[in-house]
Amino acid sequence: MRKLVASTLVAAMTLSVVGCSQSTGSQPASGGDGSSTAPAAQAPAASEGNPKIGVAIYKFDDTFMTGVRNAISKAAEGKAEVDIVDSQNAQPTQNDKVDLFINKKVSALAINPVDRTAAGVIIDKAKQANIPIVFFNREPMPEDMQKWDKVYYVGAKAEESGTISGQLLVDFWNSHPEADKNKDGVMQYVMLKGEPGHQDAELRTKFSVKAIEDAGIKVEKVAEDTAMWDRVKGQEKMAAFLAAAGDKIEAVLANNDDMALGAIEALKAAGYFTNGKYIPVVGVDATAPALKELEAGTLLGTVLNDANSQGRATLNIATALAKGETPSKEMIGFDITDGKYVWVPYKKITKENINDAK
Amino acid sequence: MVQSAYLLEMNNISKEFPGVKALDNVTLKVRPGTVHALMGENGAGKSTLMKCLFGIYKPDGGEIKLNGKRVTLNSSKEALLHGISMIHQELHPVPFRNVMENIWLGRFPVKKIGPFPFVDEKKMASDTKKLFADLGMDLDPYEIVRNLSVSKVQSIEIAKAVSYQSKVIVMDEPTSSLTGNEVEQLFTIIHELKSRGVAIIYISHKMEEILRISDDVTIMRDGKLIGTWRAAELTTDLIISKMVGRDLTQRYPQRSNTPGDVLLKVEGLTSAFANSFRNVSFELRKGEILGVGGLVGAQRTELIEALFGLRSISAGKVYLHGKEVRIRSPREAKNHKMALLTEERRVTGIIPVLPVLENTVIANLAKYENRFFLLDERKRREDVSQSIEKLRVKTPSMKALIKNLSGGNQQKVLLARWLLTEPDILLLDEPTRGVDVGAKYEIYTIIADLAKQGKSIIMISSEMPELLGMSDRIMVMSNGQLSGVIDGAEATEEEIMRLATMHLG
Amino acid sequence: MNAITQKKIQSFVTQNAIYIVLVVLIAGIAIYDTNFLSITTLRDILLQSSTRAIIALGAAFVLITGGTDLSAGRVVGLTAVISASLLQDPNYPRRFFPDLPDLPLLVPILIAIAAGLLVGLINGIIVSRFSVPPFIATLGMMVIVYGVNSIYFDMEPNQSQPIGGLRQDFGQLGTGFIGPSGPYSIPYIVIIAIVVSILVWVVFNKTRLGKNMYAIGGNIQAATVSGINVGLNLIIIYAIAGGLYGLGGVLEAARTGGATNNYGNMYELDAIAACVVGGVSTSGGIGTVPGVLAGVLIFGVINYGLTFIGVNPYWQLIIKGLIIVAAVAFDIRKYLAKK
Repeated sequence: MRKLVASTLVAAMTLSVVGCSQSTGSQPASGGDGSSTAPAAQAPAASEGNPKIGVAIYKFDDTFMTGVRNAISKAAEGKAEVDIVDSQNAQPTQNDKVDLFINKKVSALAINPVDRTAAGVIIDKAKQANIPIVFFNREPMPEDMQKWDKVYYVGAKAEESGTISGQLLVDFWNSHPEADKNKDGVMQYVMLKGEPGHQDAELRTKFSVKAIEDAGIKVEKVAEDTAMWDRVKGQEKMAAFLAAAGDKIEAVLANNDDMALGAIEALKAAGYFTNGKYIPVVGVDATAPALKELEAGTLLGTVLNDANSQGRATLNIATALAKGETPSKEMIGFDITDGKYVWVPYKKITKENINDAK
Repeated sequence: MVQSAYLLEMNNISKEFPGVKALDNVTLKVRPGTVHALMGENGAGKSTLMKCLFGIYKPDGGEIKLNGKRVTLNSSKEALLHGISMIHQELHPVPFRNVMENIWLGRFPVKKIGPFPFVDEKKMASDTKKLFADLGMDLDPYEIVRNLSVSKVQSIEIAKAVSYQSKVIVMDEPTSSLTGNEVEQLFTIIHELKSRGVAIIYISHKMEEILRISDDVTIMRDGKLIGTWRAAELTTDLIISKMVGRDLTQRYPQRSNTPGDVLLKVEGLTSAFANSFRNVSFELRKGEILGVGGLVGAQRTELIEALFGLRSISAGKVYLHGKEVRIRSPREAKNHKMALLTEERRVTGIIPVLPVLENTVIANLAKYENRFFLLDERKRREDVSQSIEKLRVKTPSMKALIKNLSGGNQQKVLLARWLLTEPDILLLDEPTRGVDVGAKYEIYTIIADLAKQGKSIIMISSEMPELLGMSDRIMVMSNGQLSGVIDGAEATEEEIMRLATMHLG
Repeated sequence: MNAITQKKIQSFVTQNAIYIVLVVLIAGIAIYDTNFLSITTLRDILLQSSTRAIIALGAAFVLITGGTDLSAGRVVGLTAVISASLLQDPNYPRRFFPDLPDLPLLVPILIAIAAGLLVGLINGIIVSRFSVPPFIATLGMMVIVYGVNSIYFDMEPNQSQPIGGLRQDFGQLGTGFIGPSGPYSIPYIVIIAIVVSILVWVVFNKTRLGKNMYAIGGNIQAATVSGINVGLNLIIIYAIAGGLYGLGGVLEAARTGGATNNYGNMYELDAIAACVVGGVSTSGGIGTVPGVLAGVLIFGVINYGLTFIGVNPYWQLIIKGLIIVAAVAFDIRKYLAKK
């Protein structure tokens, strides 16, 4: 009999876990500020008339996407019932989740693809079920976007983040003649790249340098290596650069803030940022630790990828589509390009406008 | 209450498992200060009875009395606290710790230094020394157990039992891995225990030992009590007949095989390893049973496993039907129509998690394969059920897991496995080890039949009567060398022993 | 009488623990949300479990021999990338091989499966010929295969871009179905998984290889003594497993319409978990095809059902972990000595 009891227990345990998580279940995304939205989204009475929107994030433990996720939850308050799921960084899993949303008869889909080329299949699924779809943060291939008229995209132009980080260095170079340490009129820089092959890493690398060159400044690449978006690796690589090139380096470009912070640690260890020894370091993302360094004066500047606006725009378009309306600038608060694209601009963040990023 | 004449009474114990009555109304009464032998074939219920005593099984009926008082024992720990302990056949000490830690494991004497309890090594050592002195054992409490011989480890276990103030000590086949000298030492210890009023329940198959050391003998068969006798009233043959339930006038079957031409010829076979067998030459005839005698360590197993391709050789030639063959793997041996029943049935023979069916056909699957690479299930089952019938394997069905069968029946399944490959030569390594008396006789009969059918058999055995009773010729090995081949009909134990010790030292 | 009935129920429960857990799970979720019970749900779960089943069956081969195969996930990634790279639409602008002619559908698929087979073959050779423990051998292969795949994936002109624009016919393999459009259709992938399951069942139960596999896992020494060519059997078994992962990878690419070198990441653990929950013994010799399928379905139901009723994804992980431990603790009773 004990075995029978045990099997009932397993079942009961499963159900009780389900029960426990019920109150927060519909809003898995909501951390901190967003949690207050949970009852509104789950309780049928409160959601009367609000459209159901299925949201799939490529991976829950991504810092930036958590920001977008929270923004979506927040924007949904009183407007829509959102069901946010984790694709666990696997495209097949995401496809499974889309099937599930279709089965649950959501009114619109908001998908953050794991793999941009795979959007085509998802669009086919959505089209067949006649459920409008908004992609965000990772841009599907243009030919896939043309497959159906109820497909939208919300995101930032990756190259723009590169351009802005380059511009940060241009501003500094032009206003600080001493930045050209060896007075050769050429900016000697090192580059810390993200994961090789990653679209953001490639574009940021390319366009940051291009922005400097476009401003009429000659550049010389002293070193370039990948630090895999990682702070520890950023520190290690920077230490290696310093060991090899020493004071020859005049500027540090990092594809993201984590690597920039790592580089700053390595620079501190080499005696920088004390007694007037300085080197400009720029990153991308405007993370909280990066803003601290910005305030301390060790980080020259960073670029804000506007998670709030991305989340808000995504939710607004999805809600409009769910109600059968055609999204317009008035409805969503952002320009729509080519009838399908919403480009949320990056913001240049320096010590002066630091509050914009907080 | 009157002082009971018995230290331990197990009255009318019954225990049923699904489909099997493992114990049927068994009574065991043990007098203080005696050795009480518990005997029976494998599967007679001895270990089930002991497991009931130690609370591992809960009896369905009956009672256990200690000193006339009824007790309920729910675990071996409780039994231990009631003064009942067991020396297992296979000892499992903590190998890398010292002697005294093994004895006092789980109840180290403790002294406090401030608020912190520390193990009191000094007290532990002195307690251990006193314990050894009382029992007349000569052991160093600080010796690491791994460095000790089996008999020393056994002594430690006995000392441990005594340290628990045990009044009843169960010994399961205590002499199975002891040398002659060590057996004498054990008996001295047992006498010492007896004089202290301790009762010993002695489980063994060795008749001589039993008759020498025990005071009372209880015999069981098929889960039932056959009876309890004073040892003085019994003889080996009497015990055997009570154990198997019939008179064993004939312990070995009549053989009517006639050895023919030489089938296998081995010349100068030498192991690839030093200290193993070297320069062994012999012949095996068709339809012959060739016994292989020798002491443990004579390298007999190594020799026949090398013949079967399991071990490598550095020199020597093997001829089959007059032609030289090289056998480098069991697969090649099988292709040459050889079969091997290994000594360690559990380790290298049975596949415990698989049913009797699969265990029986595993060496012979190619025979059942059709041209689509599928196995003929009907044929497989037919062959297995025939084998089961022919070898009289006792199993609920061919789907039963082999691990649930008794040792003798497992051995029969392994024999069946090889017989299905229709071998010419069977290499049998201790074929009746761990097999109960009744099944032993059946296995002998099978071996005799096979020889009669013209199969050639090499049989390693450490039991002299078995060698003498079953072999056409006996080759004796000593320390890796062949020390002589003698005719089975004329051989004597003395002769074999002389040859077996020839190359020692 | 009563005791006998009770014993019978007990024995039924222990013998069928896995299936009971599966039914209880479904029932529990259905009680929570009755919408869960629908043909669409059934079809979705079957569809989602299909590639996993194929991969898990591959893992089962190796587990039953007493080994482990950690390379499964990375082989899925490799073959997904290989098949996708060879099956892009000719008009797609960023093709992996810009000048590749249109190959018959079966050719790239077989090439990809052969790649999986080859990895398995190497695994088998390392394990059997060099006596490297399977855990270590396949751990090494897991890393190597990822490296090889990443190099391939990073080749000019692709340079680590996700491979998309797959041919219509290939996509059809992953998303197509027979029968009327809608919930009553049967996806090709499900049919493939069923066919593979039947074939694997036949190999397990009706062939010499299968019997040898159980024997090797049950007692490798006894298998050797019985004249089984253990080395050769192991090599074949690892190769078949690799081939099944390969097929799994091809189907994952077809199903999602793309591939990256990160496909299949950690699938080996899902596969092993499904096998173990399905009653495959990690010490070898024990395991059945229906058990493995039930194990896969349990995870399929958990993945789908818990998301369906809106359980927090982090809680889902905890439930999954509990199920793995509980199911095995429960199933193992079958083999424990009866008291």
